[in-house]
Amino acid sequence: MTAVTDQDQDRDPAHGPGGGQGVERAGTEPQAPAKGAGRDGRWDDGLIARRAATASEEPDEAADAEDPGDAGDGPDGPDGDIATEVEAYERSGGPLTPRLDSLRELLGLSRARLDRETLAEAGRVLDEAAARQRLSSRHTVVAIAGATGSGKSTLFNSLAGAQISDTGLRRPTTASPIACSWTDGAAGLLDRLAIPGRLRRRPQQGGSEADAALQGLVLIDLPDHDSAAPGHREQVDRVLALVDAVIWVVDPEKYADAALHERYLRPLAGHAEVTFVVLNQIDRLPGEAAELVLDDLRRLLDEDGMALGEHGEPGATVMSLSALTGEGMPELREVLGRFVQERTAAARRLSADVDAAAARLRPVYVADGRPGLGERAREDFTDRLAEAVGAAASGQAAEREWRRNAGRACGTPWLRLWRWYESTRQLGGLDRMALALAPAPAPPEEEITARQRVEQAVRAVADAASAGLPGPWAQAVREAAVNGARGLPEALDELARNASAGAGAGAARRAAGAGTRTRAEVRAGVRRRAAGPPRRRVRPGGRRRYWCRRR
Amino acid sequence: MDVRPQLIDALSALRDRVAAVRLPLPLPGAERAWQTRVELLDQLDDYLLPRLKDPEAPLLAVVGGSTGAGKSTLVNSLVGCRVSQAGVLRPTTRTPVLVCHPDDHHWFAGVRVLPQLTRIWLPPGQARDPDGLDDLGAAGGDEESALRVETAVSLPRGLALLDAPDIDSLVVHNRVLAAELICAADIWVMVTTASRYADAVPWYLLRTAKEYDASLVTVLDRVPHQVIAEVSRQYAALLTRAGLGDVPRFTIPELPESAGGGSGLLPTTAVAPLRAWLTHRAQDPAARQQSVGRTASGVLRSLNVRLPELAGAVAAQYAAAVRLSGVVEEAYRKEAARVRRRLQSGAVLAGDARTRWRGYPLDSSTGELLDALVESLVALLQCAVAAADDEIRTTWRGEPASGAFRFEDAGREAGGWGPAEDIEGRIAVAVRRWRRVLEELADEEVRLLEKNAAPDAETVAALLAAALLGGRRTRTAGEQLAERIGVQGALRLRDKGGALLTACLDQVMHGERDRRLAPLDALDVAPEPQAELIAALSVLQKERVKP
Repeated sequence: MTAVTDQDQDRDPAHGPGGGQGVERAGTEPQAPAKGAGRDGRWDDGLIARRAATASEEPDEAADAEDPGDAGDGPDGPDGDIATEVEAYERSGGPLTPRLDSLRELLGLSRARLDRETLAEAGRVLDEAAARQRLSSRHTVVAIAGATGSGKSTLFNSLAGAQISDTGLRRPTTASPIACSWTDGAAGLLDRLAIPGRLRRRPQQGGSEADAALQGLVLIDLPDHDSAAPGHREQVDRVLALVDAVIWVVDPEKYADAALHERYLRPLAGHAEVTFVVLNQIDRLPGEAAELVLDDLRRLLDEDGMALGEHGEPGATVMSLSALTGEGMPELREVLGRFVQERTAAARRLSADVDAAAARLRPVYVADGRPGLGERAREDFTDRLAEAVGAAASGQAAEREWRRNAGRACGTPWLRLWRWYESTRQLGGLDRMALALAPAPAPPEEEITARQRVEQAVRAVADAASAGLPGPWAQAVREAAVNGARGLPEALDELARNASAGAGAGAARRAAGAGTRTRAEVRAGVRRRAAGPPRRRVRPGGRRRYWCRRR
Repeated sequence: MDVRPQLIDALSALRDRVAAVRLPLPLPGAERAWQTRVELLDQLDDYLLPRLKDPEAPLLAVVGGSTGAGKSTLVNSLVGCRVSQAGVLRPTTRTPVLVCHPDDHHWFAGVRVLPQLTRIWLPPGQARDPDGLDDLGAAGGDEESALRVETAVSLPRGLALLDAPDIDSLVVHNRVLAAELICAADIWVMVTTASRYADAVPWYLLRTAKEYDASLVTVLDRVPHQVIAEVSRQYAALLTRAGLGDVPRFTIPELPESAGGGSGLLPTTAVAPLRAWLTHRAQDPAARQQSVGRTASGVLRSLNVRLPELAGAVAAQYAAAVRLSGVVEEAYRKEAARVRRRLQSGAVLAGDARTRWRGYPLDSSTGELLDALVESLVALLQCAVAAADDEIRTTWRGEPASGAFRFEDAGREAGGWGPAEDIEGRIAVAVRRWRRVLEELADEEVRLLEKNAAPDAETVAALLAAALLGGRRTRTAGEQLAERIGVQGALRLRDKGGALLTACLDQVMHGERDRRLAPLDALDVAPEPQAELIAALSVLQKERVKP
């Protein structure tokens, strides 16, 4: 992430509002400027240096969202008893562009299989990321959000140094977002947020050093999110999806409101790095009650799953102040100034969005266990097909016929006479002898392969291949199996017919393909011999061709 | 409001019907309907039935509002001493507190109103420490909601105050409890503040109060001195716009005494108007009658809307169950027809069985022939059952209600209807039984013939099986059978064997189908509950309008 800042800073004078390109180029070389923190003495922050190190350590974590081996914290993060939408998903620190490309590819490949709602959110993330990266990266868009009466407009005016936004006692007050930009060139960003021209302002040109630190800031005063006035909530939701960072303003009366925590703070818990939570109106609290309330607020944020930026760790910034009396405002300005100067807000926010989208898509893509066809499944399939064709019985029948013919061909006359007597006695009757001598012809339109067994075999192999896959993919595998098995019974019929035609050694080898290799090896030899005696394909009318022995 | 025993009976019958409603299938509207049912039951048990049975019981005024609205402070000030804990950290009230006059204690100590909440109280005479009192509630466990009952002489007789938890509390349990308590009140006291009066959640409750036509009072609390007039005016405008212009409004300024430093109570002058109004309601008979009657009949009227909704959800359950079982029956019917078609065309005679039959009697023995035929029949049936199951799975995947039957996240092997080996095993057992009966039949027939000309019973059985199973392809089997045991015998055997075969097929297919339907039938979703609900409602309505 430092890479973005560095390159940008260098190319800034040259490229102007085309800073988006700097982001792209920087994304491909994370390592090089990582140690450049000392190059320009401004970014001495231990936080940045540490993040840069982790970025270079795990270049391959540049999230392939499909990777099933992803060691992400699953749906039960550190606080398992609160069921939140997205909880403590893995923070992949990799560069943003490869992740976006992977996500785009993933969506493109799955549009045919998955329904649109599943992919809608990820598609939206991609669109917004593309839009944001095209726009200025010199600016940081920060929104001030909170409940009605928490003091957002007062804070807004205090930061801007001028009375821009209406404050008052009538609830609710702010009805449309108002923007204040410290630097020029933010027109594109404000257009994207759909803020009309008459609501765009500039701050008080005071010349204080605090203002210099806030260069590049675009501050937006939002309406409240919990009043009964219609339309406020939609506006807030819309704008919150488009900004880079958010300052949540809470007051001692409403800081534990369910609406704030359940609807906004919990789902956005992964965006902790671009979140500020500010406890306003501490002038209404006596003495050390302010400390108590702040601690309680931290506890609630922790329960929401938001990382708190204590002791230099990355996370949300929590502070208390009073916008009316000015207590605590300088600290906020300082923190905000540092944040804006880093210019990493947009990338961090987009990265958190991609994390969230990936975590949501995970159950639809990642399978349990290892699906796929193993050796055993393949052998099983072949065995079942062999059963369907009747390879075992054919083999046995051929063997017995051969033995019979062999017996007839090679026994002594007495042995032959004995056998003939045995056979007549057993079968009983002259017509039985005829049956033995000239077996019934096979009507050629019969099906040789058992269709139902082939169907079962295909089903079994499709199940083995799709075991553990998520729903739509398992369905896809089964459909592919059914489609591929069309014509399989007919092909097996053909094979079997060729095998029993006895057209020579070649037929036997072809027939070997219908059963397993081992059986075929045994039977091939037998069939080659059995192919010797006269053809069974007798013309209807059954001329006795038995006595013509082929030599 | 005049209450007759028949009305109470009709209401009790209705309550029983509502309690008997079950929504087992996870349809999209089932969650909401279940919530409606729970709310309805709670309101009937907590408030309506007790109020109709004992019209002279004290009025219950529930003080409800958002987090930090100042409910506890208000209740403390109305009573005159600290009965409820107020504080800076939110949420504050964890256990609801009910305060009444000592003479009325017996009305609330039992489970007449709010029967699900366990009562906690300190024996009279023991010193009260408000900060430690909440621990009593917590000690009772989270699952069992508790109600702390206090007495205070300063309250007028015939009035009880209840300090409810926040209606938008972060703790879901408290939210649900707050809604339940408010619905159990004769008088709803909604407290809001200068910064919260436009919040969405309290307005939802205000609108509900208007729907139920409950006796409602609103209190605008913690208003800074400088802006009292303006804020009051704005609030009044909002109320009028929502159609609640005639609701009594009281305004209480924000005073330093109510903060942590002072005694924690508002001065008497600040709460005097509200107290006077409540006292008047409790003690003037006409006003009391009006308050009580208005709320009670409002709730009765609201039943006309809520019950049909619930009945609709029940009907949807039944429709879904019918759809699901229809899919099963259709699939098995189709497969059974396919099996019969295949049998007639002789699909059993393929593969092994075909080779054995062709090679009979030289290349294969009767035992082998019979085995092969039976195995082939088993395979045919297994394939048919598996195909039907596949069809059911695919169609049910599109139905949200089928989520109750978990078969689709595992393969067929671990299916919800038993593993595949079990299914195959059952089919094999049934077919083998048929084979044994066939052999016995052949035995009998052979015994009827003379000893020396009698053919082998096994041969007869094998030929019979071939004739029955081979369809058109084994015409010669019939002829051979006739040769051996005579034409009549052959015909007789074929008829009987055919009947047995049909019976076996039906048994297998219908048996599997019934197994698939068993989990659905076990849920016992019937069309009656819906009709019963509507019937109970119309009886109630008739009782209400009778002069």
